[in-house]
Amino acid sequence: MYKYDAIDQTLVDQRVAQFRDQVARRINGTLAEEEFRPLRLQNGLYHQRHAYMLRVAIPYGLLSAKQLRTLALIAEKYDRGYGHFTTRQNIQFNWIELDQTPDILAELAKVEMHAIQTSGNCIRNITSDAFAGVAGDEYIDPRPVCELLRQWSTLHPEFAHLPRKFKFAINGAKEDRTVLLCHDVGIELKKNAAGELIADIYAGGGMGRTPILGSLIKQDVPWQVLPSYLTALLRVYNRFGRRDNLYKARIKILVKALGPEEFARQVEGEWTHIKNGDDNFTQAEWDRVAKHFTKPAYQQLSALSEQQIVAGAPETERSAFARWLERNVKPHQVAGYASVILSLKPHGTVAPGDATVAQMNAIADLSDQYSFGELRVTHEQNLVLADVEQSKLLELWQAAKQQHVALPNIGLLTDIIACPGGDFCSLANAKSLPIAKAIQERFDNLDYLFDLGDISLNISGCINSCGHHHVGNIGVLGVDKDGEEWYQITLGGEQGNDAAIGKVIGPSFYADEIPDVITNVINTYVTQRTDDESFIDAYRRIGVTPFKEAAYKNAKKKDKAVDQKESAAS
Amino acid sequence: MMNKHIIRFPQDGQASLVANEWQVWDGEGDEGAPFNTPDLKHGLNKVLVPFHWWRSHCSGHHQNADIIERANKGEIGVWFATDDDILKHAEIIEAGKKIWPVVAAHFPIFRDGRSFSTAALLRQRFNWQNEVRAIGDVLIDQLLQGARVGFDAFELRPDQDLTVGLQQFNLFSVSTQNSWRGKRTLLEA
Repeated sequence: MYKYDAIDQTLVDQRVAQFRDQVARRINGTLAEEEFRPLRLQNGLYHQRHAYMLRVAIPYGLLSAKQLRTLALIAEKYDRGYGHFTTRQNIQFNWIELDQTPDILAELAKVEMHAIQTSGNCIRNITSDAFAGVAGDEYIDPRPVCELLRQWSTLHPEFAHLPRKFKFAINGAKEDRTVLLCHDVGIELKKNAAGELIADIYAGGGMGRTPILGSLIKQDVPWQVLPSYLTALLRVYNRFGRRDNLYKARIKILVKALGPEEFARQVEGEWTHIKNGDDNFTQAEWDRVAKHFTKPAYQQLSALSEQQIVAGAPETERSAFARWLERNVKPHQVAGYASVILSLKPHGTVAPGDATVAQMNAIADLSDQYSFGELRVTHEQNLVLADVEQSKLLELWQAAKQQHVALPNIGLLTDIIACPGGDFCSLANAKSLPIAKAIQERFDNLDYLFDLGDISLNISGCINSCGHHHVGNIGVLGVDKDGEEWYQITLGGEQGNDAAIGKVIGPSFYADEIPDVITNVINTYVTQRTDDESFIDAYRRIGVTPFKEAAYKNAKKKDKAVDQKESAAS
Repeated sequence: MMNKHIIRFPQDGQASLVANEWQVWDGEGDEGAPFNTPDLKHGLNKVLVPFHWWRSHCSGHHQNADIIERANKGEIGVWFATDDDILKHAEIIEAGKKIWPVVAAHFPIFRDGRSFSTAALLRQRFNWQNEVRAIGDVLIDQLLQGARVGFDAFELRPDQDLTVGLQQFNLFSVSTQNSWRGKRTLLEA
């Protein structure tokens, strides 16, 4: 993975010093909270219900064992013994003291980490495929472009105060694992006939109050000119994006208002003037970065079949091990290797995406032992050991079980994406975590979950959609109605190449109704599916009506006001 | 209310405090109260007028003789509001190069970044060589960003500590993207 040179290290060290001074001025009262707010947000520091929350960047999801140990140390020394991995490849600490944040950032800087631009109205942490560089279906390793653009966007002065936050996702695989179309800018990498790296640019995607899939606005952009093209794009947004209404300030609203063609035309007009400038990347810059993304020292191994792998397990454990292989182990580019997903979604015990200090340290050790000391964070809030020898899978499974990160539920109903919700977040209208817990408890039967197969269930505590409910096959959204917590259900959302925004099925439910509602929806699927049909395929075939009728079968309370308001909004 | 001092930070120089010679006129009181109210008491007769006011009084068919005369003496500059689309009025701005010693871009609130792009366009597109000044809700924690996009003068909000302000420009010795002041560190090495 990428290693800082003197420039990178100096920059993060000086950023820590800058923030230390800003915090000192806040504490001594010369900097007002209103004016400190954007400064702390641009360093990932939120003020939440109980304390400050610090969001640390894990650029494009890559993490070393050493870095994970530092995250554990921060959780232990400055927080309450755990961290929360997010859908955008960050980690959050929920119990932070303001005066300690400069010291935390200094600890992070020692292991080439930071919290720069993990919040605020600026270019956020760039996300990518958690399986970059190893995925069997990859045609371009996106990591060099990710790192080049991470550096280009870091402390970019012109785009430090955009109308609203701005998120990039970058994909280079056949299957999209980045939710590309739900980003302000999605960069799809490919090669042209001459074998040169080029990019298609999608703009104006997003979730939140107005979920929209991004539009293709430019094809075949050579990698070298990405800085000038993106400057042009961001400049149009910075100048003309709405600033009068927080809820209409994202680029998706501008692209929608102008139309994708007109937006693309304006970007092109701006780009014409700067496309040949020296903002563009040079081959030397590529080489500086790309040399860090070479293949690790793989051994010459022969590929093992699943039968061969399972045969290594004791007789009594074979079926459990086989399940884990089926759900949590993914194919690799190199013969004899596999990628392993460690589930941070135990049933009903902790929040989705949470890891304790002990788990973080143990997982760091596992990565040293089995995967060249590297890890990845997935959009689904799990961790990946990307380069595991197939012959070591059994050992790793047994070690992972000790840490309670071996539940074979990846991609299943209980692999729930959830934001921290109203338990922590001051933006939330409703709690997310108790809903996730209740659903996991209701569906705590692996045989049944396996039978159901691939289903995504995503929960957001408010319309900001941090839990990505819009793209869950089943989405749960917390809404506030006269001070009470209600939950709205969407169906038919999907991430990946067939990305879709879920449809609201109707009036909201009380929290205690949700497990029954989900059960009724699932039962409808089970009744209606054909042989191997997945939930989303069944939904697309038979439509929303049978699911909707089932969902409201036992509904005891309805709220028409919420229904009307939400119908108007959607 | 105007500041007695501004921070001036030339492209190839050091940041320092200098006396403020320009007052910013908001364009109000135009009707029936002719624009002719420089602050003579303080010797301040250089005025930044709103760009939209210049357009309607001093360009095309509209030629306010008094103002043109003062402009010819180097006493008039313009300031751009955040919703002035400077690219739409390129001809006026090109002509202004010979007239305005100073132009300014306004920050209605410190977190409104539109004037960053205005300054960047003035430098990149118009090759603006004279002073570009930041006015309005200009705070010390936005100075560095402003200096990098193209501003070389800052009239800060009156409550800001100018001494702390002067320290902002040397916080970083490296950068990872080009700016008006220099290329990214990697290309300069």
